[in-house]
Amino acid sequence: METNRLVKFVLKNSTAVLFVLIFIMFGLIAPRFFTAKNFQNIMSNASYIGIIAVGMTFVLLTGGIDLSVGSTMYLSAVVCGKLINEAGLPVFPAVMVSLLVGLMVGAVNAFAITRLRLVPFITTLITQTIARGFGLFITRSVAVNYPDSVTLMSTSKVLGFIPLQIFIFLMVVLLASIVLNRTRYGRQLYAVGNDLESAKKAGIKSDRLIASTYMISGLLAALGGFVTITQIGRVNAGFGSGDEFDAIAAAVLGGASLFGGIGTVFPGTVLGTVMIEMIQAGLVFANIDIYIQPIIMAAIIFSAVFIDSVRTTQIKKLERRNILKV
Amino acid sequence: MKKGIVLFVVLCLLVPTLLFSAGKKESDQITIAFCFQDLETEFWVAGHKAITESLRENGIRVIEKNANEDANRQLEQVKDVITQGVDGIIIIPQDGESAVTIAKTANAAGVPIGIFNRPPSDKSAKNLVVVANNEVIAEAAVEHMAQEAMKLGRKVYPAIMVGDLGDPNAVGRRQGFMNVMAKYPELWAAPPVEIPTKWDANVALANLQSAMQANPKIDFLFTSSDFLFPVIKSVLAPLNKWVKINNPNHVILGGLDGDVTAAQLLEEGYLDATGVQNLFYEADVMLEAMLAAIKAGDKTPDKWMDDPGFALTQANLATRAEEMWGWVLYKEKK
Repeated sequence: METNRLVKFVLKNSTAVLFVLIFIMFGLIAPRFFTAKNFQNIMSNASYIGIIAVGMTFVLLTGGIDLSVGSTMYLSAVVCGKLINEAGLPVFPAVMVSLLVGLMVGAVNAFAITRLRLVPFITTLITQTIARGFGLFITRSVAVNYPDSVTLMSTSKVLGFIPLQIFIFLMVVLLASIVLNRTRYGRQLYAVGNDLESAKKAGIKSDRLIASTYMISGLLAALGGFVTITQIGRVNAGFGSGDEFDAIAAAVLGGASLFGGIGTVFPGTVLGTVMIEMIQAGLVFANIDIYIQPIIMAAIIFSAVFIDSVRTTQIKKLERRNILKV
Repeated sequence: MKKGIVLFVVLCLLVPTLLFSAGKKESDQITIAFCFQDLETEFWVAGHKAITESLRENGIRVIEKNANEDANRQLEQVKDVITQGVDGIIIIPQDGESAVTIAKTANAAGVPIGIFNRPPSDKSAKNLVVVANNEVIAEAAVEHMAQEAMKLGRKVYPAIMVGDLGDPNAVGRRQGFMNVMAKYPELWAAPPVEIPTKWDANVALANLQSAMQANPKIDFLFTSSDFLFPVIKSVLAPLNKWVKINNPNHVILGGLDGDVTAAQLLEEGYLDATGVQNLFYEADVMLEAMLAAIKAGDKTPDKWMDDPGFALTQANLATRAEEMWGWVLYKEKK
């Protein structure tokens, strides 16, 4: 009975258990890995992809997908940089405009998906190309550099000890968790993702809900873009390319289903995001051959997703046995 | 309502096409397609500028195609320009493998093809290739760094930021670095730390931070591309290691490309050396060889042209700076 309970606990928290195991494993290989500074670095580097992954979780919950987030990051970061460098706008209004750009890309996705009834995969693939195209048109592919006033933000601390990018990430996670777990909007989102037709019959305005998730995703992509430019100080033409897949991987690794209705921002997406970053950092700490690193990375992520996919069946099996015993 | 939406979508597609479409081809004018993989760094932007300007100055019509880092798309674009009847093709390929496939496609169609700056992975196709000798250039830059390290009179902790391992340029640069590691085994306090970047600033940032955390004594850092200097600055600055050359906390720093940022850092005294690819020379020799092939009616010219490059260091800055493309752009900007 006790073993059963333990197995069930491990299965229900497989992502968290794997997270701890990987953390301990790398710590044993390279003791410096256990330092607080390293954990701060991991969190800091995971922040921008985490913010995007939170937006992606909203979209995934409805059974949709947003492939345009990488390009949205690029376009909004370009607009922000151009407004600061060439229009002489102060940083804060420039950031606000760039967030608006992200929101607009999200609105275009929302319109095409909910009004024109286009498939999310194709729609966001198109907006991915359009947003990057606009960015390239504005920059003519030339890198945009940001002034020190922007890059110095990455070293600033909130309350004297939380790096700004981690603080923004935590705030986004907190807000998203409250919205998903404590509001009617959140419950309706899960309902729409679980069974769209039943949700509609229950009077839920599913189109509005779905549209809002793409706008949230666009907005958070722009915010993630800004968070990362405070760290790297420059945006080139490849900025954000492929980040949509990292965001999807983080959400799925955290337990979100690609078919909708299942997933959490905390702990799910947060753990998924930090785990990917932690594995990458661990491989560098362990000084593993750079040709082998991608293989190990892929193997660990595959194991995590595989465990996650079998756990639901196993939990059901265990619970069925308990019912029979009773 | 639906008709209105359809009309709106059609207009959206037509207007940009009509506004930005090129004119008709003039029959007696040579047309060369320039297909590049992307313009993600200053180096590729400068390379693009050098080639297109050289072509247009010679009265050649240029068709430009951007593959946006997609090798398959680039292959389709090359097939497309072949159908348009171009006289020659110059490509900057996404990687060495796709360069071979694309060159074979051009060979089969009987259109001369030139590969710029990123070499094909093998020599099975016939093509004009101009490429910097990445291994030699990287070695020259790291050699200068090693000489500077020797002046410290102690062992140093080396590290290299490695590019995308699918890119022959990145592999060549890593090899150049390793050659110097092997040349002075007594100079290194530990084996070199290899930091993967995948040519991505975010990956580079995360991995460099981890590397500096795991090996805080690193004081000899070579980046396989100059475009990563802002990332290096953001990691070293909080550690008080982003300091000028005579400061005891200075990390001996080297790069490769010779871009604008490298020029500025050399002038300001943060950077010890950078390997320079002579872009202007590369553009000139490619154009010369391509025009010669077109005029001679050679459909499958096959020639490998090396750009020997050089290392611009604090020692030769006063005499050779003007040879670096990034320096010229930096001075223009200034």
